[in-house]
Amino acid sequence: MLKRVFQFAVVVLGVFMLTACSEDEPDLIVTSFTDELQAPIDYFEELHDVKVDLQIIPTENYVNTLRPALESGSGAPDVFTGEIVYLKDWIEQDYWENLSQAPYNVDEWRSDYMEYVWDLGINSSGEVRAVSWQTTPGGIYYRRSIANEVLGTDDPQAIGELFSTMEGLMEVGEQMKASNYRLFPDEGSISPYTNGANPQPWVNDNDELVITDERLAYFDYAKELRDMQYTALAPAWSPAWYASFTGPISYNVGWDELDEDEDPSDQTEVFAVSLPTWGLHSVLKEEAQETAGDWAVTNGPTPYFQGGTWIGMYKDSENKDLAFEFIKMLVNDQEFLTDWVMETGDVLSYYPVMEGVAAGYSDEFLGGQNHYDFFIERAEEIDASTVTRYDQQIDELFGNQVSAYVEGNLTREEAIDEFYSQVVNAYPQITVPD
Amino acid sequence: MKKNNRQAYLFIAPFVIVFLTFNIYPIFLTLYYSLTNYSGMGGIDQADFVGFNNYVRLFSDRYFYQAFFNTIRIWGLNFVVQMLIALGLALLFSDIRLKLKGIGLFRALFYLPNIITIASVALLFSILLDWNHGGLNQMMLSLGLIDRPINWLNSPVYAQSAVALIGAWMWFGNSFIVLLAGISGISKDFYEAALIDGATWLQSFKYITIPQLKPILLYVLITSIIGGLQIFDLPMLLTDGNGSPQGALNTMVLYLYNQAFKYNNFGYAATIAYGLFFITVAFSAITFRTMYRKQV
Repeated sequence: MLKRVFQFAVVVLGVFMLTACSEDEPDLIVTSFTDELQAPIDYFEELHDVKVDLQIIPTENYVNTLRPALESGSGAPDVFTGEIVYLKDWIEQDYWENLSQAPYNVDEWRSDYMEYVWDLGINSSGEVRAVSWQTTPGGIYYRRSIANEVLGTDDPQAIGELFSTMEGLMEVGEQMKASNYRLFPDEGSISPYTNGANPQPWVNDNDELVITDERLAYFDYAKELRDMQYTALAPAWSPAWYASFTGPISYNVGWDELDEDEDPSDQTEVFAVSLPTWGLHSVLKEEAQETAGDWAVTNGPTPYFQGGTWIGMYKDSENKDLAFEFIKMLVNDQEFLTDWVMETGDVLSYYPVMEGVAAGYSDEFLGGQNHYDFFIERAEEIDASTVTRYDQQIDELFGNQVSAYVEGNLTREEAIDEFYSQVVNAYPQITVPD
Repeated sequence: MKKNNRQAYLFIAPFVIVFLTFNIYPIFLTLYYSLTNYSGMGGIDQADFVGFNNYVRLFSDRYFYQAFFNTIRIWGLNFVVQMLIALGLALLFSDIRLKLKGIGLFRALFYLPNIITIASVALLFSILLDWNHGGLNQMMLSLGLIDRPINWLNSPVYAQSAVALIGAWMWFGNSFIVLLAGISGISKDFYEAALIDGATWLQSFKYITIPQLKPILLYVLITSIIGGLQIFDLPMLLTDGNGSPQGALNTMVLYLYNQAFKYNNFGYAATIAYGLFFITVAFSAITFRTMYRKQV
């Protein structure tokens, strides 16, 4: 009797598993870390009458979840995206298909794209493994009303002039402070401009850590910003940081003995923040609707870029034709991309669309400014040759030591030594200066 | 007889298969990883066999020692505070003289912090402990307890204490329930006899409660050690995940995680895992021996 029951259970289980598997298989599986591809996928499904599944893995788990699938091939998607953070690692692995080869021949597209974006998808053998539709240069977003009040103008050109050197930034900081405003929410806002003054990779081809005076100047500028009270002590991505975009935030550090005639007010308002293109849509427009129209964007002392999403197809995908069609639509379809820009305000690396859109554009959130013009110009100054696979982690280690110094927990020398020793601990193959 | 045996094997097979696949195999695979410089990318066959190099590095790695002592400090403070609260409350609620009411309600209330997701707890406390905008500083300033805000999460001592105390707050309810169950299991006759004989509260605590509670205390201590040595989530989430400030929140498992998943040193991370394993075994063994020393 028991045996019968057992056999029956096995049969039921088997049937269940078979039906579960055969249920409506998608024609294409796309994996990414945000839902921003959902709209393109809907469009693509209609266009080709196919079923595409978008699997979203949160950014924090993306690499650790997806990589085993790519390594083993089981459960790997047909198309997947990658962030700049690990892009350099991934294009060297056999994860993405080589798009330079026939029948894809994407090298033919090259001249239509911003150079740095295109180049970042090329691996050390010269093969394009991933492509991207966007470009992510950064700038300084500022509040027009505060600029008018303190600096007498809100013109991006004029403000950009003031921001074009570190000294200029500090001067504006002083003027802001005098009117109880703060230049930036936190010290991190100047970090892109320190290495930008003399762009060098963190690690050179000989696996040596490259340290320039300009890099080290981050210590001094950050300290100056803190000591002179040009920042609002609201670290990036903290609740206070978000709050600083909409109005006054609390500021009661009790520095009274440092500065006797300081405004006794325990509130202050932040003037500006360094953010890349996507910061406009995913940070400011999301979090600062109260101050919509009061913003503008201009240049900092040097060009920089932050973030960016690349896409490619899995090397062993069984649906390569369709996968390539999807990638082609996402990065190389003029009609689709024009709609996409209008919808999202994304800044594209694809010139044929950007040239059309940028002409005569004006963004209400930015008080009518044409940020496309501005960002395209900034993007063209970016040099991607200094990007290494170590950037994210080494930047983080460096930033930590800078804040330890700014907080007064370590001296400058101690902080630099600690930084070196942490780099070696993380990457034993890298040699650091003595 | 023989047939029965075969059926028994069939019944334990699911467990054995799962155990071999998901416990034993990974343990040996990790041992193998720890002898290589595997980066976690491109298959283990591309890694070089490096013998005991990783273990040599582990013994001279000051970040590992830092992580070890951080972990011990955080666990130690956490355990002491947690046990004081839990034991105190358990005694209070089990006292035959006091006969407190509403124990069911309190048991649930004390246990509540334990069922909140750690991510939420970390977010909550990082907002509370924020230097310039956080609730704790604002409150202490307005009460006049401090005259300038304290940068809690930027000071190694405060940051470690914060993690330890948050842990104690989360876990005292759990220990409370276990200890209360243990105390309830002690026969009331002992206490009544002691009461008649004129024993003080302290005497009955020292000569009845503690000796009778020993197995429970041992259980709580060992599970706490094993859990405490693996502390990861709070230090990871409360600051930047790198162990800031100044490595004060760099615990052993956080260090392992960062070596494996941030820096792609899978081989070395596997070595750290073995280091952690031996430390946990050693601590449990020491605890066990000390607790039972007199009885043997």
